[in-house]
Amino acid sequence: MMAKEQNYYVILGVDRDATQEQIKRAYLEAAQRFHPDKNKLAGETEIFLEVQRAYETLSNPSRRAQYDALLPPEEKRQLPVEWEVHYSRPNLVRLKEPQMVYILLEIFPSKRSGEIPIPPLNVCLALDCSTSMAGEKMDMLKAAAVNVLHELRPQDVFSVVSFSDRAQVIIPASYRPEKHRLESQIRMLQPSGATEIFQGLETSLKEVQSSADGTHINHIILITDGHTYGDEPACLKLAEEAAQKGIGISAMGIGKEWNDVFLDTLCSLTGGSSKYIAKPEDIHAFLLNKFETLSRVIAADVVLEFSGTPGAEMTFAFRTQPETGPLPAESPLHLGAVLQDMPLNVLFEYRIEPSLTNQDVVTLLQGSMKPVITGLRTPIPPVRLEFSRPVLAQAGEEAPHPAIVHSLGRLTLYRIQDKARIELNAGKYELAAQHLKQLATNLLAQGERSLARTALIEAENILQMGGLSEEGSKAIKYGTRSLLMKQE
Amino acid sequence: MIVCPNCKHENLDGSVFCFNCGSQLVGTGSLVTQNIDAEQAKQTQPIAGKNAPPSYSFETWASLHLLDSGQILPLSDRSEFTLGRVSEAQPIMPDIDLTPYQAYSCGVSRLHAALKREGKRVFIMDLGSSNGTFLNGKRLQPHVEYLLNHSDIFSLGKLKIQILIKK
Repeated sequence: MMAKEQNYYVILGVDRDATQEQIKRAYLEAAQRFHPDKNKLAGETEIFLEVQRAYETLSNPSRRAQYDALLPPEEKRQLPVEWEVHYSRPNLVRLKEPQMVYILLEIFPSKRSGEIPIPPLNVCLALDCSTSMAGEKMDMLKAAAVNVLHELRPQDVFSVVSFSDRAQVIIPASYRPEKHRLESQIRMLQPSGATEIFQGLETSLKEVQSSADGTHINHIILITDGHTYGDEPACLKLAEEAAQKGIGISAMGIGKEWNDVFLDTLCSLTGGSSKYIAKPEDIHAFLLNKFETLSRVIAADVVLEFSGTPGAEMTFAFRTQPETGPLPAESPLHLGAVLQDMPLNVLFEYRIEPSLTNQDVVTLLQGSMKPVITGLRTPIPPVRLEFSRPVLAQAGEEAPHPAIVHSLGRLTLYRIQDKARIELNAGKYELAAQHLKQLATNLLAQGERSLARTALIEAENILQMGGLSEEGSKAIKYGTRSLLMKQE
Repeated sequence: MIVCPNCKHENLDGSVFCFNCGSQLVGTGSLVTQNIDAEQAKQTQPIAGKNAPPSYSFETWASLHLLDSGQILPLSDRSEFTLGRVSEAQPIMPDIDLTPYQAYSCGVSRLHAALKREGKRVFIMDLGSSNGTFLNGKRLQPHVEYLLNHSDIFSLGKLKIQILIKK
């Protein structure tokens, strides 16, 4: 049995020099995962008892010292994921003005990842069934949900929640649902009421949680077409709670009315992302693609807890793959999933104030990174992560790493449109329009004719009407984002 | 400060791309990057051709008459073309590369202007080029479409081109 060879540190998933605080937290997390009240799979009660024993020993300093004395030296374990840090420049320069540095963090499956089983899914569809969904959107949504139902594997747990200003469990979380009966449940959904995302999210969270036993990829897919009013802060709090419990949230917005900024923020708190569905007939493809992505997950999330240095500000963080989206530049950061066949790439931008360049080395980030590997019974300890750069009198000759130039080049277009938005909000119409025109030129250079045209039309809209159209705004934002994913 | 060679925006030291116009600022000097880009450029051209919308007829709808060299370039296949010159350092690919016609010394930008067909009408749009696009002697406003008539002469910087529109 695997557990026999493992020492208490491995069982809890902490380093040998972990503090009492870290040990306690790891214990609480593991206890939540394997608590006998929850788990359904054979062998998990034994794991829970092991966790219990490990904690009893390690939480007591004198017992821990005795245990440590008998412990064989640590073997280097190969983890299922590995990572690399690339910098845009070999060093910082002593300057009297601020300067920038870009960092690409690449987390990819290691050779060992092949041994890890691909975890089953525990997914809840939270479907907006408010009045505005009536018609084609509702029809397409039902058809897509039914289709997904038939794609499920026997080991997957599935639930469906419908919501408007109240929420209803249409299909409770269950294995091997009776597909035909449930299909008719989905087909009977009727649109009514207003959109209150909190209602839908809260009920979905309960469904996912009821089967969240630490062996599944736990995820809520929220599909909506409207704004939610007044409950945004409560939704964000719920998302934080979900993230702590290892439950991810993704959102899909249909049409032009929904609040993309809010849903982006909501999802990014859990390592998820939002997608824009321009036409109802695309719902199906987006949903299937999401399920397909979830079923290739090797690490459900990578959690980065960090601290920075005053004067070296993280000005921007963006996940360039597998699913693109901006990340909040604050700790703890849920970086998102690593897929079996696609690394997780996150790009960071730092702005360094001149006062820091008196030092020999500037530490940009110090923290610990914890990949959540669902297919493993025991958690893996967090690893230390540090971003730092030496300071020299002269700029280094070395060109930036090609991977950085590549992702930054593609990200630049997204950022130009972002900048246009900021200027528009500040009332600088001329500048905002100017940036959209520059965006159009760049898009043409990449052969993106229709998106370039949209950018030009929106530049005109800014000058004529002082604002963007809802469709154009979303088309440009998600269009420039999807450029990141385009294969050469 | 790094001053952008394209738009003169002042970027902070350490910037890789111009925050204003998106041009690449560093990392283009090394030989390795140039080779890769040139290689990519060769590969992307035929692909771009294949991806062109097939809904238009494949006959020539207009030709460009380069006045200095006398060369005639037919426009067919698709309804929109970008004009410019290929740059070794950047992965920008205009549909029509004017490099062989002294584009550089005439002040043609990498992505200078676009030609578009709508029915029987042909339009030209300047893409924010450094030296401007001129139509019958007048400088065009960037990013605005202007109607072209058969045998109109326009110039990209100093490169003079006559448009021949097929009736």
